[in-house]
Amino acid sequence: MITRNSLYRRLLTWLLLPMLALGGLMLFQAWIDARQTADRAFDRLLEAATLAIAEQVQWQDDRLWLDLPPAALEMLATDAEERVFYALYDNRGRFVTGNAELPGASDEAIAADGGLLYRDIQWRGMALREGIRRTRLEDWRQRERFDVRVAHTQEGRERLASQLLRGNLAYILGMALLAAATMVIAIRTALAPLTRLRRAIRARDPRTLAPLELPLPRELAELRETLNELLARMRRVRANQERFIGDASHQLRTPLAGLSARAELALRQDDPAQWRQALIAMQETSTRTSRLAMQLLSLTRLDNPEYRPQLAPVALDGIARQAVKQHWSACHRDGIDLGLETPQNTVEVQGLDWQLEEALGNLIDNARRYGAHRITVRVTEAPPMLEVEDDGPGIPEAKRLLMLRPFHRGSDDPDGSGLGLAIVDGIARTHGARLGLADGHDGQGLKVTLSFPGDPP
Amino acid sequence: MKALLLLFTLLLPLTATAQVVHYPAASGTERPEPLIVQGALDVANVRPLLDDFHRRHPHVELTYRNLDTLPLYRRFLATPDEADVLISSAMPWQYRLVNDGHAQPLDTPASRDWPAWARWRHELFAFTFEPIVMVVRRELVERYGQPDSHDELLAILRDHHDALRNRIVTYDPERSGAGYTYAIEESRLSPRYWDLVTALGNVDTALVDTTGEMLEGLASGRYWIGYNLLGSYARRVVDANPDLEMVVPDDYTLVIQRLAFMPRQAPHPRSAQRFLDYLISEAGQGVIAGQTTLGAIHPELSGPGTADAWRAEHSNALRPLSLGPGLLATLDNLKRQALLTRWRREFEREDGTP
Repeated sequence: MITRNSLYRRLLTWLLLPMLALGGLMLFQAWIDARQTADRAFDRLLEAATLAIAEQVQWQDDRLWLDLPPAALEMLATDAEERVFYALYDNRGRFVTGNAELPGASDEAIAADGGLLYRDIQWRGMALREGIRRTRLEDWRQRERFDVRVAHTQEGRERLASQLLRGNLAYILGMALLAAATMVIAIRTALAPLTRLRRAIRARDPRTLAPLELPLPRELAELRETLNELLARMRRVRANQERFIGDASHQLRTPLAGLSARAELALRQDDPAQWRQALIAMQETSTRTSRLAMQLLSLTRLDNPEYRPQLAPVALDGIARQAVKQHWSACHRDGIDLGLETPQNTVEVQGLDWQLEEALGNLIDNARRYGAHRITVRVTEAPPMLEVEDDGPGIPEAKRLLMLRPFHRGSDDPDGSGLGLAIVDGIARTHGARLGLADGHDGQGLKVTLSFPGDPP
Repeated sequence: MKALLLLFTLLLPLTATAQVVHYPAASGTERPEPLIVQGALDVANVRPLLDDFHRRHPHVELTYRNLDTLPLYRRFLATPDEADVLISSAMPWQYRLVNDGHAQPLDTPASRDWPAWARWRHELFAFTFEPIVMVVRRELVERYGQPDSHDELLAILRDHHDALRNRIVTYDPERSGAGYTYAIEESRLSPRYWDLVTALGNVDTALVDTTGEMLEGLASGRYWIGYNLLGSYARRVVDANPDLEMVVPDDYTLVIQRLAFMPRQAPHPRSAQRFLDYLISEAGQGVIAGQTTLGAIHPELSGPGTADAWRAEHSNALRPLSLGPGLLATLDNLKRQALLTRWRREFEREDGTP
């Protein structure tokens, strides 16, 4: 389930990483808090010790005098057995007594802290916390100012701080575990509908195109709707295909049934002239049927969306000339005037010559079949265009789109397959060309236009 | 620094006559481990310990130098990289050195198990238990009875101050660190101490520097009462001399302890650790209990020669100096001046009481 690129992992990472950062921040804050709390607690000792010493400072023999109370030093050393230092300085900063010459502080710093200053110092390689009390003698005549400075090492503070931190650490770790567990459960719950959707799709009959019906959260419901739309399109495509196959088999069955009936009829007779007549008729029918099969084949190929033929430069006027040459005799037999209009220059487009020839053939055939007297094949240069115009009955504008569907015929014509325009439409799409149906000259007949994209070859 | 050192080597013979005991490494030892111990602990008491230690570690080349407490302190400050282990009964001075960061910690099973009241930071270790006692002569007991407490001593001094003139001896608090320490502790324990000082002054008490001098005078019959002697030294002399009697006052008896530590700059830290660990081991403490008069304090030991035995006999009276920063107050210059001034004043005052 957890692969390199899983949603689960991605969610987990992006939720857990910020939480880790947050946890780190909380830990740092807890450490600072623990230090501050420990400092506050132990600074009270410095305060009490300086006070106890300051109370014993007197004026005696014309100098500052101190009867050092041992308890003042005892209170600075807790169970952690801190090293203890003290000193008394007079108002000119001269050392009066003490066991260490502790550094002083500026007047401003002490005044800012109300006559009592705590700070961390480095002294002889030891990290000490120093407390400085600046006060005066409360004598009637003598109001001399003096400093009491005491300091101790920080083992007790560190011990208390680490105790506090340990307490907080357990709390933070517990919270983190709870949050992580909640997060994992939440992600699993949130991703569960996805699994349900997957199972629903997998469990389906592969042949069915029925829409998916299962309750899903909104985001996934959109995905379900999109899938259902795709399925609906596939259903339409399949319906089209089924109808096409039905139509095609119907179209093939009719001439084949005719052939079979004709052969049966001919076999009952003994006259070779009759046989010959039947064979000629059968040959005509089979030719038409094979043409129908050819057309069906090319239409299927053209309808295949995977079909992407390699286009090559072809000369439109050459193709038009070739098509006119092929159909001229047939038209001449029917008394139809087949004409050709080409520009002086060769018009080249990207295309497949055999397809374009077939398209032109189909159009000329159609025009001939539907009773035109005059057919003009026209090639224009700019834009590159193939045009076939006739003066037949034409197609009313409302029906023109219908004409592009396979097996739809304009009128009852036993010879027409109803595939001609559909094939031309498929060829146009293969070439990226636009198929246009319009009225012919003077509102008579039909003009079919294939406009190719205007890019130079 | 060099000049100071030179000065010291010149002055040293005048200020202190150092007794040196030397144990060469056992013959055949490829790389002897030197060990230099400096102590304020008389050779008679330290020798059994050194013997036993050297028997256990014959490859150690052991040098023991015996000094008085204050010369020991000054010598250490002048040359902090000379000694591997420092032993002294001057508790405030030893404490001050360790408080100032001159010691290195000892981390061994023995040091972790050592009772908390007898160590500080695993750097400073108390390894003996030595009450401060009085020694009286037979003549005094026969005439005036034996003073069993400070109160009785004060009464005897007041009642017979003419007879006892020049017959009393005690420490001079000005010259002796031990005397000063006892004076400040006693003045803290009871305000009546000053009456005693006045009484001592009225009988022209002799003031000397060491317990040894007091014992000498007592043994020769010059003094009848010695006040504030180191019990560990007095025991040996009293046991050998039927004319002398050791008195442990039953109102209060100060107890001092020898403190040992390894200097941070000890030249041979490995052998230093070995020796300090030995001092607080059951073996070392057993030697202290059995062969010295110092008093062992190892919690596993009991019976004669241990703190346990002292407590069983005098539990209410024993007042050991607490091993803590309060000792620093003892060393405060102004406090020392104030105490000595008062002591001198009280000592020279005429006693008003009849």
